[in-house]
Amino acid sequence: MDELIIAGRSFNSRLLVGTGKFASCELMAEAIACSGTEIVTVALRRVDIENENDDILSAIDRSKYLLLPNTSGARDAEEAVRLAKLARAATGINWVKLEVTPDPYYLLPDPVETLKAAEILVKDDFVVLPYINADPILAKKLEDAGTATVMPLASPIGSNQGLKARAALEIIIEQANVPVVIDAGLGLPSHAADAMEMGADAVLINTAIATANDPPAMAEAFKLAVEAGRTAYKSGPPSAGRKASASSPLTGFLRE
Amino acid sequence: MVGPSKQRADIKTILTDKGLDGCGRDIWTKRLGEITPAEVEWVLSRSPGYYVLDRLLILVSPAAENYLEQMAQLAHQLTIQRFGRTIRLYAPLYLSNYCTNSCLYCGFNRQHKFERTRLTIDRALEEAEVIASEGFRDILLVSSEDRKFITVDYLAELAGKLRDRFSSISVEIYQMSQAEYAKLFKAGIEGVTLYQETYDRSAYRHYHPGGPKSDYDDRLNAPDRIAAAGMRQIGLGVLLGLADWRTETLALAEHAHYLIKRYWQSQVSFSFPRLRPAHEVEGSQFSHLLSDKNLVQMITALRLCFADVGLVLSTRERAALRDHLIKLGITKMSAGSKTNPGGYSGRNRAVEQFEIDDNRSPAEVAAVIKKAGLEPVWKDWDTAFIGI
Amino acid sequence: METLKINGIDRQFPAGLPQTLAQLLKQLNINEATVVAEIDGKIIERQNFAQTKVSNSQIVELIRFAGGG
Repeated sequence: MDELIIAGRSFNSRLLVGTGKFASCELMAEAIACSGTEIVTVALRRVDIENENDDILSAIDRSKYLLLPNTSGARDAEEAVRLAKLARAATGINWVKLEVTPDPYYLLPDPVETLKAAEILVKDDFVVLPYINADPILAKKLEDAGTATVMPLASPIGSNQGLKARAALEIIIEQANVPVVIDAGLGLPSHAADAMEMGADAVLINTAIATANDPPAMAEAFKLAVEAGRTAYKSGPPSAGRKASASSPLTGFLRE
Repeated sequence: MVGPSKQRADIKTILTDKGLDGCGRDIWTKRLGEITPAEVEWVLSRSPGYYVLDRLLILVSPAAENYLEQMAQLAHQLTIQRFGRTIRLYAPLYLSNYCTNSCLYCGFNRQHKFERTRLTIDRALEEAEVIASEGFRDILLVSSEDRKFITVDYLAELAGKLRDRFSSISVEIYQMSQAEYAKLFKAGIEGVTLYQETYDRSAYRHYHPGGPKSDYDDRLNAPDRIAAAGMRQIGLGVLLGLADWRTETLALAEHAHYLIKRYWQSQVSFSFPRLRPAHEVEGSQFSHLLSDKNLVQMITALRLCFADVGLVLSTRERAALRDHLIKLGITKMSAGSKTNPGGYSGRNRAVEQFEIDDNRSPAEVAAVIKKAGLEPVWKDWDTAFIGI
Repeated sequence: METLKINGIDRQFPAGLPQTLAQLLKQLNINEATVVAEIDGKIIERQNFAQTKVSNSQIVELIRFAGGG
């Protein structure tokens, strides 16, 4: 079976869904259900004392979905580690999506602080899924540090630009020994299919679903796209890749 | 007005300037010998399918011989990408072996004494019917230099009668004028194959001592006339064994590149005729014969530089080798060929142009193609759709 | 007057501080099952809310999950 395996745990769905930016909790819950996802990200925020807030967790069935807290908001390694520990205290889960984004405009991740935080968290028995720019060297370093995946961005968060970082993503996919989850910037189901056809192990979608006119429908569209892309990838689309792929030898007869 | 400096040079000038018509023979041989494995690896890491003379130089060099498997894999992948998992099948129909040339390598050389055969239109149609009954819809009309009988009008008339039965008619005949090619095109012939035989002028002189074919320049310029006349397919090739194959490949590529740039509506294809034993033709007089390994290198090198050029294989090669070559970038091949006029209906035992080494029936060849994971395509293009 | 800095804002307790964290949350009308708390940078496990005392001038962070990508 073609299961996604992260930190020894297997999943059928290769679509991870983010919960931000939805118009309401109900819409979010419905979209999550339509997406077929098994991993859902959440953020940590200060409780708004003055106003009664919905508790997002009540809308997420924890028996069906693995909650993946992120450290969004952290601007350096120290803050990220703190948030990760808070999340673990809240849920008992030691999975964390590591996000260190000092830049408030593009929310691009800080490679240095991310690596630093990853090393600390891995030593503290966290299952770390680090969000990074599409930097092949950084990806290898994080892998060496023991992260469970790498999560390179396709284009800046919320930009919906698709696979702008294609060339670098291809290299990361080619070189990775851990699952590669392409995260951020995928704006259309076709982008997601494209990412899967490239060989990504999974994709994470938030903005494109949450801000669609019909989030549940869009969630389903992404589900289908991810499945289509993965099936295409597995059926071996021909590619004019940089390296020849090993298949049965074509010139062996010359040596006979 | 386009000044002389902006006009694209003609093929004759290109070859002479680059020393690829034989005058730069030694320089090219030296350069080929100096190619390093590092350069081969560099070329193979590039995206394939783009022609640059220096890249092809590296790919046909002795140094690249150690990289054949990688070249083969890349060529195979690129071919599938551009042409699909298909091989087109065609059959040659030899119309005559009367010849006014005396090419040293050919069984039809006018100096050779044997009973000649030429087919009337009706006989040719009979032969064609046998070919069609095997499944072919792509036919190549071949003739020796028999201008007296196999005339433009003859060919036009024959093509007109074959159009209902065959969706693609090409010819491989002596060189003609542009007006004559245009007449053939109007009659429904869509492609012309014309081998330069050798781009090396002195070798050319040696092997074509007499007859109209002895004119190197006229031969060289013929593909221009073919394309200018509107022909959709231009088949190029050298007779492998007449001169050093590596420099011949460079010249052949330059010719193709020139035609592709200048005549963008025509498709160029390469053939790989290797010298074969023929009636009264001995192997011993040829000093540049190619090994199977050389042939593989040439085919894959050209594929890696020309993503969209057809690569054609005839039944000159033995069955076992053809079966392997199928997966190396070949896009078109003949099957069950008879190179003697009248050979299909078996009525007479005319002299062949060369000995066939793959005697399998078209059905057997088709089965081998399928086994290689490819689909044999008998009919590829229907002129009925475009109302010619 | 006793104060606590809660989520970055100073809050005064004229009637006096609640004794425990659990009581603080009740006073603020926050469902303790949905939050995670830090006092002076130290994470307080939920099972310990009722036993954790609060004292004057402490920095309290009350955090819950929210939507995020």
